[in-house]
Amino acid sequence: MFDNFFEMVIAPEVISSLIVMGIMMILAIIVGIQARFQDPLKKPKGLLLITELGVKFFDDFTRNMIGNRLPNMGGFVFGVAVYLFIAFIFGLTGLPSPVTYMAVPLSLGFTTFLLIHITSARFTKWKYFKRYVEPLPLFLPINLISMWAPLLSLSLRLFGNAISGWVLMTIVYNALESLSGMIFSFMTVTFPDGGAVGAAILPPFVTPVLHAYFDLFSGFIQTTVFISLSVILIGQEVPEDEENVELSRKGGN
Amino acid sequence: MSSAFCAALAMMSGMANAIGEAMVCVASINGISRNPEGYSKIRTTMILGCALVETTAIYALLVAILCLFIN
Repeated sequence: MFDNFFEMVIAPEVISSLIVMGIMMILAIIVGIQARFQDPLKKPKGLLLITELGVKFFDDFTRNMIGNRLPNMGGFVFGVAVYLFIAFIFGLTGLPSPVTYMAVPLSLGFTTFLLIHITSARFTKWKYFKRYVEPLPLFLPINLISMWAPLLSLSLRLFGNAISGWVLMTIVYNALESLSGMIFSFMTVTFPDGGAVGAAILPPFVTPVLHAYFDLFSGFIQTTVFISLSVILIGQEVPEDEENVELSRKGGN
Repeated sequence: MSSAFCAALAMMSGMANAIGEAMVCVASINGISRNPEGYSKIRTTMILGCALVETTAIYALLVAILCLFIN
């Protein structure tokens, strides 16, 4: 089984994804240490303050969308949001962005997909299988196909956005390089690898605006859309009868 | 040649997408002109709605890129 393990080709995007996870882990450890030694009577500041604001925002967000039946969903949403945003802006470092590799958005979509079905099975028990034969048993094949729609739409939205930004940026870089090479063709200086210096003059002045749109703005919007859709899709499966929650709380106390 | 034609055909969905996104903008501008206090909330919802509407265009772009580069 492990014969070819070390000869296996690992995509560079997967390594970028691991780096993003490492960044998140380091941030989490720093925040954990800060939270441990923080005096609860003093005002938090710096990274701890940002994290507390984020935790509060995402807890309120999920509570508004889902209700009180799933109180722990805020952590999942916070984690996914931070990972996605860092993964989107990771392309700015020059390394490949993890979202441009289909496996990464597919895994994120699959997580939401699993959560949707686990939540549904948790709240409806054996009636979960009834969703496949609604409204008639005749609809079983259609329901079996349409159950994959959220997975495809969530993952392809992320992937399409990232890859379209990447393709457009590559085209703009190539076009600007040749344009700049034509304009500054009088410069005969070359880089050590043989590239003309004239070709590298124009791109740094034009592309930051496009990077700000395609990486920062687009990444932020797609992160918002992904977590909103995830929370809405999960919240659809949660039954909303407030009386039962009240009764179970009273019974619990 | 045929793959370029297919990509152009796939991008034709941009027409419908532009109309849809324009409808989102018109609705939000109407909302803001009737209720200027709700500007920030309407703007956030509009950007989210625009991103959702844009999804069809992104799918079309994906199909077009596939048509161009896979063949």
